[in-house]
Amino acid sequence: MDWLRRFLGLQPAESPVSESEDKAAPSTSPTAAAPAATPETDSSTDDTQPNRNATAQLNEDGRTRQLPPLETVTDTSSTGTRLNYGLHSDVGQVRDNNQDAMLSFTACMSGAGDDVSFGFFIVADGMGGHEDGEKASALATQIVARHVTNDIFLSLLRGETGGDSERPTIIEVLRNAVQKANEIVSTQVPDGGTTVTASAIMGHSAYIAHVGDSRAYLIARDSIEHVTRDHSLVQRLIELDQLTPEDAADHPQKNVLYRAIGQSDNIDVDAIIRQIPPEGYLMLCSDGLWNMLSNEEIHQTILKQYDNPQSAAQKLVALANERGGPDNITVILVQIPV
Amino acid sequence: MVDTKQFASEPKKDLLGVDGTLQLHSVLMNRYRITGVLGVGGMGSVYQARDLQFPSAERYVAVKEMLNLSQDPQLRTISLRNFEREANILAALSHPAIPTIHEYFTHKDRAYLVMEQINGKNLEEILNTLTESLPVDMVVQWAIDLCDVLNYLHDHDPPIIFRDMKPANIMIDSYGRLRLIDFGIARTFQVGEKGTMIGTEGYSAPEQYRGEATPQSDIYGLGATLHHSLTGRDPRLEAPFTFADRPIREANPDVPGQLDAIIMRALAFEPSQRFANVLEMKKLFEAVRYGASGGGSVAIDSGAAPAQEMDDWGSAEAGGIDVRWKFKVEEEIRASPIVHDGIVFFGAYDHNLWAIDTENGQMRWKYATEAGISTDPAIHKDGNMVVVGSDDYAVYAIDIRSGRENWKLMTQGPVRSSPTVAHGHVFFGSDDGHLYATRLTTGRSVWKYDAGVPIRSKPTVTDELIIFGAESGDVYAVDLSGQLKWRFKCKRNVISSPFIYEGLVYFGSFDYHLYAIDIKNGWSVWRYRTAKPVLSSPIVADEMVFFGSADGNVYALDAFGGRERWKFATENQVISSPVYADGAIYIASVDGKVYSLDAKKGKERWSFETNGPISGSPYVHEGVLYIGSTDQNLYALKA
Ligand SMILES: Nc1ncnc2c1ncn2[C@@H]1O[C@H](COP(=O)(O)OP(=O)(O)OP(=O)(O)O)[C@@H](O)[C@H]1O
Ligand SMILES: [Mg+2]
Repeated sequence: MDWLRRFLGLQPAESPVSESEDKAAPSTSPTAAAPAATPETDSSTDDTQPNRNATAQLNEDGRTRQLPPLETVTDTSSTGTRLNYGLHSDVGQVRDNNQDAMLSFTACMSGAGDDVSFGFFIVADGMGGHEDGEKASALATQIVARHVTNDIFLSLLRGETGGDSERPTIIEVLRNAVQKANEIVSTQVPDGGTTVTASAIMGHSAYIAHVGDSRAYLIARDSIEHVTRDHSLVQRLIELDQLTPEDAADHPQKNVLYRAIGQSDNIDVDAIIRQIPPEGYLMLCSDGLWNMLSNEEIHQTILKQYDNPQSAAQKLVALANERGGPDNITVILVQIPV
Repeated sequence: MVDTKQFASEPKKDLLGVDGTLQLHSVLMNRYRITGVLGVGGMGSVYQARDLQFPSAERYVAVKEMLNLSQDPQLRTISLRNFEREANILAALSHPAIPTIHEYFTHKDRAYLVMEQINGKNLEEILNTLTESLPVDMVVQWAIDLCDVLNYLHDHDPPIIFRDMKPANIMIDSYGRLRLIDFGIARTFQVGEKGTMIGTEGYSAPEQYRGEATPQSDIYGLGATLHHSLTGRDPRLEAPFTFADRPIREANPDVPGQLDAIIMRALAFEPSQRFANVLEMKKLFEAVRYGASGGGSVAIDSGAAPAQEMDDWGSAEAGGIDVRWKFKVEEEIRASPIVHDGIVFFGAYDHNLWAIDTENGQMRWKYATEAGISTDPAIHKDGNMVVVGSDDYAVYAIDIRSGRENWKLMTQGPVRSSPTVAHGHVFFGSDDGHLYATRLTTGRSVWKYDAGVPIRSKPTVTDELIIFGAESGDVYAVDLSGQLKWRFKCKRNVISSPFIYEGLVYFGSFDYHLYAIDIKNGWSVWRYRTAKPVLSSPIVADEMVFFGSADGNVYALDAFGGRERWKFATENQVISSPVYADGAIYIASVDGKVYSLDAKKGKERWSFETNGPISGSPYVHEGVLYIGSTDQNLYALKA
């Protein structure tokens, strides 16, 4: 539990994240009830300060730092059920800053004959000038992670989650987390916006919350399925049979989103549950990847290094770069155990 | 009543001289002295200027300024030439709703258009500051005026398509008169933008994104503008092309149905489904404004179904349903039939389990229990048995061919839970508070699980679990040996039978919700609230979950996230459970009808009315639908 607290920058208190912390963000309500949270001295309880320990790291100047390539990360804490994942984010060939943010953590608990492995993953693609894009994506990533950690994982460890209609459902928790991120990004980074595609994995279930045009895919040896819905104008036109997917690919307005974090007070968040097949993958990525590679190419690349998600993630990014890498590229690949 | 004088405008002086705008009192072309800013457009400002040509008269004009942003000199020249061409077209227009163009000129890197000043506000500003809804009559008058000016443009030679119909391009002057501004002339100076952007135009027709613009595109834009004006919901803040999801009359009950229908038809996705021309539309608005006359309403009715798609099914006219046969029993039928091997089996309140030949509707046999039957029979194929529970506290296994009793098991209470046959056993609940696992061959009880309260939900059985609801509101998952695996607590009783799909258990509760919970641990994944108890048992097909509610609706939700896809209103409670076959949903209602709905859209394919409320569910087999009604008949209908 300590790692989790450190990870989230929480103090060793009974209730690690309380709702009032969000309200303590200094620039929105300086008179808020939690005066301890002055950002200069204690960034850890303040949602506006990107956390140093999160995978989406910011440099002093607020830019997303290039992540060093990782070895495939395998959660080795126990027998049986383990998540095997790889991730990579790159600025691409054209832009001079990376506005994408990503986050990952996994845990594995075993005992009493039960193995529970869980993980949480986020890809966020920021937009907006003057570093607003990277600020928005990092901030959103962090807020979503905090709420999901507290309301799902910590409550799970406290033995609170369970069969009771009084509790919010997991889908509601995910939606609330993203809505919270929306509120805070709207006030803290008014000129920035971001997509968010976040997935909590428990066993074979992937709970996915999504806004914008980053994507989640389910991948097995014989199939690849895009399971989120892009909130883009062209996708909507395709759904209405007003545009063919081919025409959409080079449509002048293909980058126009109709829904993103940080754009309005209320946001409608898509949230779903899907089952990942045994040894199958969940992939999260920004449009810098899927705009450059077809589903078939993505699938083939993963098949070539099926049990090495880190190498597959790097290869995918490299391919998108070979095609010109016009946008930031971020990929997270999580393999589910048998 | 809205006072139109509030639409009068006050030019702003404080905007002058900042960010590249002209200075106050600067003079253009030795003739126009800048006195204020009337508005800000995409490519520059719109100024108020005093025309010095008439020194003794206070004549004001509007001067629209456009920056030529193209870097490339060749592009700059092209932009300028386009501007001049369009300015000439505009200058030749003459219509009361179009401001008069006085002249145009270019100066440095800017182009200017001098026109009549309108003392008014644009409709977007008006909508943004509005606290109550606009009077419907006023909006209808604007609609008529807009149709009139659009008709003028479309009739022009060559036709002019406005392309950009939206509140920001409409001004209402201090007399409440409507004027159309911004003929897109500023577009000639626009340069393409790159990178991910947020926000859509919201008012443009789908085909305009393919580069097509026709009179029908203007009709769509007009529809979108009127929809915004009447509902107060800005389409730029919503997912594109979702006007149909925001019914006008829900937001504004003052809007007559006729008006709603005109606007929704203008908003059809397919241009061919909209009006053939604005004149046709104008006549219908006039009918709304001045009282219907001359077939206006007829035209609406025929075209109003916003034309998503025509019925692929060839809708059956009233009474057109082919009744293959019906069979009358001695009391109400409240449960559902099942078909096996050419026989349809069902229980009735007359105490009997009936076996009827599916071909001709002739009785094969009946078996009398000692009380009414309100459960659905189950078939045990290998054993040639049909199993049914009765209010007489017993469960019976009857030989399919002879109709003779194989065995009978007594419980301590009425059996209202329909039996499920699986793994060589029959599983059912009783009002005595137990779930029974009984060997099929002998009828001997292997174990029973004590829930303490009546169990009336039909158990659902997987390879590992038996899942059922109880009157306490608990949903239990016990393993095949009767050990509890998990339990989920609802606020009120669960009669609905669980449905299992992709790791989720779906069921309804008297607490008004449909739940989706994780089959591994009973955690709730999502839930959906209806307005009344959900007794109906859900099913999943095409990645949607279908069920009925006592609120009278049939619902289709996204199976993975619980988002509503459609709902269909019947005229009474829906207790019946849906059946899916070949892209259609079949379900009955207490309104006495059985419905066939298109599973994708929830559109009615056909309905068939019986002479009594229906609480049971249909059974569809080889293109024939079987349904029992409280009118005591079992019907065999052509699905
Ligand atoms: N003739 C006029 N009299 C008074 N005010 C005007 C006149 N023309 C324009 N305006 C004001 O200026 C604003 C901007 O005008 P207009 O829509 O023509 O600019 P634009 O550059 O074409 O904008 P966009 O292309 O972004 O719609 C209008 O919304 C209106 O408030
Ligand atoms: Mg991007």
